[in-house]
Amino acid sequence: MRERWRTILDHPLFQLELRRVRRRRWWPGRRFFLFYPALLGCALGYGVMVTFAGSLENRLGILVTGVPGVCLLSVINWLLVLGLTWIAPALTAASIARERELGTLDLLQTTLLSERSLVLGKLAGCLAQLWPGLLTMALLTPFQLLLASSSGAIFSLGSWPGVWFEGGDAAWMGVGTWLGLLLMSGLGLLRPWSDIALHAAVGLFVSALARSASVAVVVSYGVILGIRAALYLVNALLSAVLAVIPGLLMSGALAGGMSEGLVGGLLMAPIIITSLGIICIQVVGAVLLVYAAIWWLRQA
Amino acid sequence: MTKRYGKLTALRNLDLTVEEGAVFGFVGPNGAGKTTTMRILATLLRPTAGEAWVVGHSVLNQRREVRRAIGYMPDFFGVYGDMKVWEYLDFFAACYEIPPETRQLLTDDLLELVDLAHRREDYVDALSRGMKQRLCLARTLAHDPRVLILDEPASGLDPRARIEIRELLRELQGMGKTILVSSHILSEIQEICTHVGIIEAGQLVATGTLAEMRKRIQAQRIVRIGLTGRIEEAQDWLSSRPDVMEVQPVTRNGEGDLQFLFSGDDDGLARFLSELVAAGFPVVMFREESGDLEDLFMRLTKGVVS
Ligand SMILES: Nc1ncnc2c1ncn2[C@@H]1O[C@H](COP(=O)(O)OP(=O)(O)OP(=O)(O)O)[C@@H](O)[C@H]1O
Ligand SMILES: [Mg+2]
Repeated sequence: MRERWRTILDHPLFQLELRRVRRRRWWPGRRFFLFYPALLGCALGYGVMVTFAGSLENRLGILVTGVPGVCLLSVINWLLVLGLTWIAPALTAASIARERELGTLDLLQTTLLSERSLVLGKLAGCLAQLWPGLLTMALLTPFQLLLASSSGAIFSLGSWPGVWFEGGDAAWMGVGTWLGLLLMSGLGLLRPWSDIALHAAVGLFVSALARSASVAVVVSYGVILGIRAALYLVNALLSAVLAVIPGLLMSGALAGGMSEGLVGGLLMAPIIITSLGIICIQVVGAVLLVYAAIWWLRQA
Repeated sequence: MTKRYGKLTALRNLDLTVEEGAVFGFVGPNGAGKTTTMRILATLLRPTAGEAWVVGHSVLNQRREVRRAIGYMPDFFGVYGDMKVWEYLDFFAACYEIPPETRQLLTDDLLELVDLAHRREDYVDALSRGMKQRLCLARTLAHDPRVLILDEPASGLDPRARIEIRELLRELQGMGKTILVSSHILSEIQEICTHVGIIEAGQLVATGTLAEMRKRIQAQRIVRIGLTGRIEEAQDWLSSRPDVMEVQPVTRNGEGDLQFLFSGDDDGLARFLSELVAAGFPVVMFREESGDLEDLFMRLTKGVVS
């Protein structure tokens, strides 16, 4: 049956969590957004300069001057991802189990909130608590892409776009590498989101089963560590298997008269396919876990 | 219906009907299955076998309709301590899909009803236990349910708070709600109930209106007689009568009394007395021991705890 709340923003559980978040004095408010346009402007200028500066020497020069900034951004992003992937499951693991501990889960379940709405509302509530982190991560994405694009431009040995119009194999080589690098970084940027989704879903599922919040958090961390180890193995296996392919492809392609440039892109194919596979596994796993949690609550 | 937890059978073919508009007192010792029954009715548990209906809706397949019709207050109710009193009610009103425009008025009305209007802006943690209980009761009323299922609403309260809860229930009954209320203390709810059901070890041992239950007590009244002599003879005479049971001697100041269960109404009792005197027994005392629901409860339940 359709719920009354049109969007998740109207959901009572979500609003409850927002109200709690707003009560915390130290939480950033709208001021959070002030720094963003300035940052975006700088990065855009930097990216454009690196990409379009005439000679290779010039580009390298610009790149070097920008290195501290790039490093800072990467470090921030890395810390954010690390923090969020481990804080999110703790929050979701506590969510439903905490209600059970307080005795309010029974109350919630006898209201008109359906089990699905309950679980999704709790999930949204947890993510709402992480909004500054999640938003920063989202806002950093364009920079990361820009950086990837410009460093791609550098690594493709000055052939793009400067040599683009002159044609020839060198140009194609550049485009192939550039596209490959861009795709790789794009997937690399998607990966943390799927990590967070999976970890949050594991927490939520354990929370639906557990009697107390503390038990739920500990068990979730255990399960997540297990899953990480399993995925690491999958990753290693996939790359090992796929690593054989480019060699075959390359000799085939070259023999077939394919330009060397595109073949350069093929070199990156195994990495790209592996990370795409892992991301898909994680997202599908997350969705399944959330539905398992809903199903479990319906049973009792 | 039947409910099993693993090997343990908590409810054994329980069959119970509560009439509309009744205040049904559900009484039984610890572990009798009161909470289990109520949780099934509140759609929080599924019966292992059997079915239950609340205002015509099945608790198995029409859970949403059932939830709309009932207000459930669990025995260990939970509150969110970090919310203000009005926010707590507002939150649950939202869960019952009450539009934001009407919620403000509604919370004010509910707080008025349970006498908490002056604590509106306080945090729930700052309330006393009795106040929390009243707040919880207010919560169950948010969507104006037709049926209230209250699991030991007066447990852990001081006598004054108990009376307040009782007054509140009376008021709700006046509003035309059907109330199912559980307790282990019969005397506590016999003042507000119209019907009583006694449950033990997952089985209903007695049920009926309060008047019927009282009649049942009178149907088996405890009578005590004092004789100046011929005690053994009288004992035999009593035991041979079909309307007398469980004759036992009671000693009082060295003299012997007899106490027994007599089944019959007032006329029967009068006839019995004249026959007793006609038989030539030296009767000096004839008294009916006052029996109340509590006695009935004690007699019907044998202290079997599953
Ligand atoms: N979740 C559960 N798992 C296993 N057994 C349970 C569970 N809940 C209740 N029981 C058992 O079912 C029986 C009935 O319990 P229930 O809570 O319904 O009793 P009650 O009449 O409410 O008792 P009280 O007066 O103490 O509240 C008890 O023997 C209890 O041990
Ligand atoms: Mg109970």
